[in-house]
Amino acid sequence: MLSVKYFGAVAEKTKVQGENIPFSNLSLQELVDELEQKYDLASLSYSIAVNQKLVQDKNSYMLMTNDVVALLPPFAGG
Amino acid sequence: MRYNRQIILPEVGEKGQEKLSLAKVLIIGAGGLGAAILPYLAAAGIGEIGIIDDDSIEISNLQRQVIYKSDAIGKSKALEAKEMALSLNPSIQINAITDTLNAKNAIPLFEYYDIMVDATDNLHTKYLINDACIVTNKPFVYGSIYKFQGQVSVFNYQNGPTYRCLFPDESSNTKNCVDTGVMGISVGIIGMFQANEVLKMVLGIGNVLSGELLIYNMLTNDQQKFDLVRTNETSISELDFEKKYNTIEDNVLEITTSEALKQINDLEVLFLDVRNEEEMPKISLPNAIQIPLSDLEENLDQLDAAKKILVYCQSGIRSKRAVEILKENQFRKVQSIAGGALKLQAIIATDAVSI
Repeated sequence: MLSVKYFGAVAEKTKVQGENIPFSNLSLQELVDELEQKYDLASLSYSIAVNQKLVQDKNSYMLMTNDVVALLPPFAGG
Repeated sequence: MRYNRQIILPEVGEKGQEKLSLAKVLIIGAGGLGAAILPYLAAAGIGEIGIIDDDSIEISNLQRQVIYKSDAIGKSKALEAKEMALSLNPSIQINAITDTLNAKNAIPLFEYYDIMVDATDNLHTKYLINDACIVTNKPFVYGSIYKFQGQVSVFNYQNGPTYRCLFPDESSNTKNCVDTGVMGISVGIIGMFQANEVLKMVLGIGNVLSGELLIYNMLTNDQQKFDLVRTNETSISELDFEKKYNTIEDNVLEITTSEALKQINDLEVLFLDVRNEEEMPKISLPNAIQIPLSDLEENLDQLDAAKKILVYCQSGIRSKRAVEILKENQFRKVQSIAGGALKLQAIIATDAVSI
C-alpha cells in the first residue's frame, strides 16, 4: 500500500484529504503522473514530500511499500 | 509591572525581556495575519516594530482584521495599526509605513530590521520577501492560509532553507482569501504561530521552525511537519536581485547626463571615468577619478564605497559593465551615465553648466 495525502487547492481538486493506493513498483514521478491524470492536477503547482520529507528529484525516487506521499501546494491567503 | 508575568518565566527573565526590547521586527502586511501578529508582539515588548501596508480599511476586512474599529473604515491600515499598538503599549516604537513592499524599499528596510514577518496575501510578495531576506541575510517568518488550512515556516534562518527551496515554481497561481474566503480565526491561529516563532528567535528558546513546514488544519486539528533542506540554487546577490525585480533596470542603474551634471559639485558624489587615458574628449570634473575598465577590479581600493559613484565611458556601454563590477563588489550607490563622455561634452559645451 501507498498512502497519499492532499493539501490546500490540491485536496480541493481530488475532493478527498487522502487515499490508499495499491503498491506497485514505481518512481515518485510515475505516481505523480498517474495522480495528475486522474485528478487533472496539471494546472496546479505543488511540492512533494515522502514520509514527511520534501523530495527534489522525483524521477530517481523509487517508492517503497507503506510510503506516505504528500502533495503540498503553496498557500497565498493572509 | 507590565512584563512581570513573562519575566517570571525562567526562559524569559530580565535578560530575555532586554532582548525583546532591543529587537526590531518588520511585519509585512496589516491584514488578517498582521492584525493577529502585531498586538502580541507589541504587548510582549518588542522594542521596535515596523508595519508596512498601503491599503485602507474596508468593511469586508473587519471579520478577520480585528484590530480595526468600524469607524476606521477608509483610514490607512498601517496608521490605524500603529495607533492600536501604541495604545496597547506606549513604551515601544512603532513605525507605520504606508507603502507596499517593493524592490526599491525592501533592501533598506530589511537591513534595518532583524526579523521579517510575512503577513501578505500574494505569492509575488512572498518571493520578494524571500529574495530580499537572502540578500540581507535576515530570517523570514512565513505564514499563509488556504481556507481552513495554514502553513508556517521560518526561512533563511542561520543558513537554513528558503521559500524557494520549498516552492521553486514561482509561476504558480494560487488563490488568496479574497478569492476563496477565510475565517478570522484561521488567520488568527496562523498569525499566532508566526508571532511565537518571532519571540522564540529573539529569546533564543525552543526550536525555531526552520527547515520544517508546519501545516495546520483548523477543521480536524491535524498538525503535520515536513522537513526540507536548503538547495543549491538559493544564493542571490544584490545584483541578481536588482536585475530580477527592476524591470526598468536601466532607469535605476543608469542616470541621464543632465541629472549627473547637477551633482558635479556634490562632495558625496564621485565621477569615475573608465575610459583609457588617451581617449578624447577629456572631461574635467572636480570630483573625478580615471580607472580604465580593464584595471577596475584591481583598483577598487581607490574608490570610496560610501560615496555615490557615477560612471562614464565614451558612449555608455563600458560604464554599464563597470556598474556591474562595482555592484558585485558591494558598492551600493552606483549608476552609469547614459551617453557617456560624448553626451557630457555636448552638454558642457552648449549648456551653462559651470564646472
